[in-house]
Amino acid sequence: MVISAGIDMGIQRVKVVILKDNQTIAQSQQFSGFEPTKAAEQAFDEALQKANLSREDIQHVTATGAGVGMVPFADSTVSMMGADARAGAYFFPSARTVIDVGAEDARAVKCDENGILQDFVVNARCAAGAGTFIEAMARALEVKMADMGSLSLKAERASSINASCVIFAESDVVSLIHREEPKSEIARAIFDAMAERVSSMVRRLGLNADVVLVGGVAKDVGFVDSLKRRLGMEILIPEEPIYAGAVGAALVAAKRAKRRQ
Amino acid sequence: MASEIEKGTKYIPEMAQSEIDELRESIKAASIKVIEDNIKRMKKAWKNRPKAMEYFDEISNFFGQREKEIKEQKAAGKKVIGYSCIFAPIELILAAGAIPVRIGSGWYDTAKLGDRIMPVEICPIIRSTVGAKMVSLSPYLELSDAVVIPLTCDGRTKLSEILSDYKQIWLMNPPRVKDDPHTLGMWKEEIQVIKEKIEKLTGNKITRKNLRETIEMMQNATKAFRRLQDLRKGAPIINGRDAMLVNQTSLWDDIKRWTQKVNELCDELEKRVEQKEYSSYPDTPRVMITGTPMIWPDSWKVPNLIEESDPQGVIVVDEQCSGDRILYDPVGVDEWTMSDMLNAVSERYLMACTCPCFTSEHGNEDRINWIIDRIKEYKVDGVIYYVVRGCILYAMEYARIKRVLDRMNIPVYYLDTEYTREDVGQMKTRVEAFLEMLEARIDI
Repeated sequence: MVISAGIDMGIQRVKVVILKDNQTIAQSQQFSGFEPTKAAEQAFDEALQKANLSREDIQHVTATGAGVGMVPFADSTVSMMGADARAGAYFFPSARTVIDVGAEDARAVKCDENGILQDFVVNARCAAGAGTFIEAMARALEVKMADMGSLSLKAERASSINASCVIFAESDVVSLIHREEPKSEIARAIFDAMAERVSSMVRRLGLNADVVLVGGVAKDVGFVDSLKRRLGMEILIPEEPIYAGAVGAALVAAKRAKRRQ
Repeated sequence: MASEIEKGTKYIPEMAQSEIDELRESIKAASIKVIEDNIKRMKKAWKNRPKAMEYFDEISNFFGQREKEIKEQKAAGKKVIGYSCIFAPIELILAAGAIPVRIGSGWYDTAKLGDRIMPVEICPIIRSTVGAKMVSLSPYLELSDAVVIPLTCDGRTKLSEILSDYKQIWLMNPPRVKDDPHTLGMWKEEIQVIKEKIEKLTGNKITRKNLRETIEMMQNATKAFRRLQDLRKGAPIINGRDAMLVNQTSLWDDIKRWTQKVNELCDELEKRVEQKEYSSYPDTPRVMITGTPMIWPDSWKVPNLIEESDPQGVIVVDEQCSGDRILYDPVGVDEWTMSDMLNAVSERYLMACTCPCFTSEHGNEDRINWIIDRIKEYKVDGVIYYVVRGCILYAMEYARIKRVLDRMNIPVYYLDTEYTREDVGQMKTRVEAFLEMLEARIDI
């Protein structure tokens, strides 16, 4: 029996997953806040409590994510791309492309049937392809972020916005509002713009089916709809895409624990 | 010509001397710190760093011994000839008794000054070189009596105009297509013209005897360089960034002394091969860097990341005009006549060069073939394709090179950056993922 844990230190949230023989037995998340290490401790302890385990029961802890260095109790680390590749092939063995859209960045990885990373691209310099973009635009439209997706699905066409940058896009959205364009069409334009950025990034890797989408933004129906149209193919999404990075890290941890046994 | 064109400088705005001095001193102090920090990191990463490296550490300081030396020689009547790119025929400069020094700038801080007159989309090497000139930072550019600027890319073409506000500029016009007999003829004429300019500036005739001497001197430098390169083909015996520093110092050091020091380093390293005293684990992923030149010291950002990453990589070879391309090819002379030697010099500087400024009916095949051959020779596990924003020629060739490397099953990663220190965190993530991937492939 192998019990392992993965900790994904995201910019917005810390996610923890505990696996027992590669099956999830507990998961937990916390806002990263100003003290990511503390948040990681809390999320980890919470997951342990859910699993009815103590820290000593975990054979190996692997950390990943933007704040990967801020987990003092981790036994090892893995890159976000390596974790995505593992998780993608774990959820869907047919996965060859895994797209991860988080709060602050987006990336796409190519993997083989064993979940070994083959190639990757990242979009880390511009928030226009990531979750905070939706947040900023929702604020400009004065709708709840969670409602953006269903709002956009009501539109039959999209308005036209400049998608090169959050700041420009925001001023475009403001002028669209002044022109009284329907909010639904603006919302769809926002998701289309994001999907455009993400899909051109994916195409740089080559479009290899099956395509899996993970990360917090995979929960947003508006974005998923736009991305499907842009890629021209179906997208597989695991039940809880936000935990994918942590699952990937926990899978790596299990492997490393076995190697040490 | 309308008289308005002639008034004042062409490009550079007027700056108060006090501002110039203040900026120069603060950037200089920051640069010295970067140099010291790089060396400290190189020492830390390579526990048993050979004593022979200390010489190159000293020469790497732009504001140190070498600057003093050139100043003294200049005071004694020698001319200093700067050049922006390795198309400049070093043998001819040396044969006329002048001192060749490369002037391209790797200072991140001066790129910001360049922004005052150029948009940020322009290659940062150009902006940085202009910025360095605005505050007279670069000792080698300041000491130059003339600067050779081969018009390779658009950035350098306009750089020549901007620098002509201050310096005597000698343009060279390398053809974009090299496998055409008439273009080689054109290039030979360019070399002849530069030869005459060098002779006029120095007042020294380039004689058959002098030219032969300097060709042989540079051939010896190539031999020493290749000796060092051969050592990088096996299990890691020298860290890549140390070798890169050695190679880059040849651009401003006294080449005879440089050759001797490289040979001393190789003596020490060859002993280590026998004793299996490796600089990192023998199964460390082996990385090639290709793309935009990485100019000391600020651009060591990337080699530092690769060789300090977890898992670690070792740079075994590069395809850059700031590194292995400088001395890779010797001038091959059949007969030591003046015309034969000039032909040989012309051919070496044109035909051997793998700069992406070239093309042909089949594309820039020389560069691709060079990369393929070195990958095999140095058993490269993966390639980092390094491009700074605005470096259009390298950026454009990537797509084709990636396809070729995909067919060879060699992973390649496009690492784009700017002249800034702010993106180190993001780059670290990407470099680590790439090395993790290489390591996983080695494990299988």
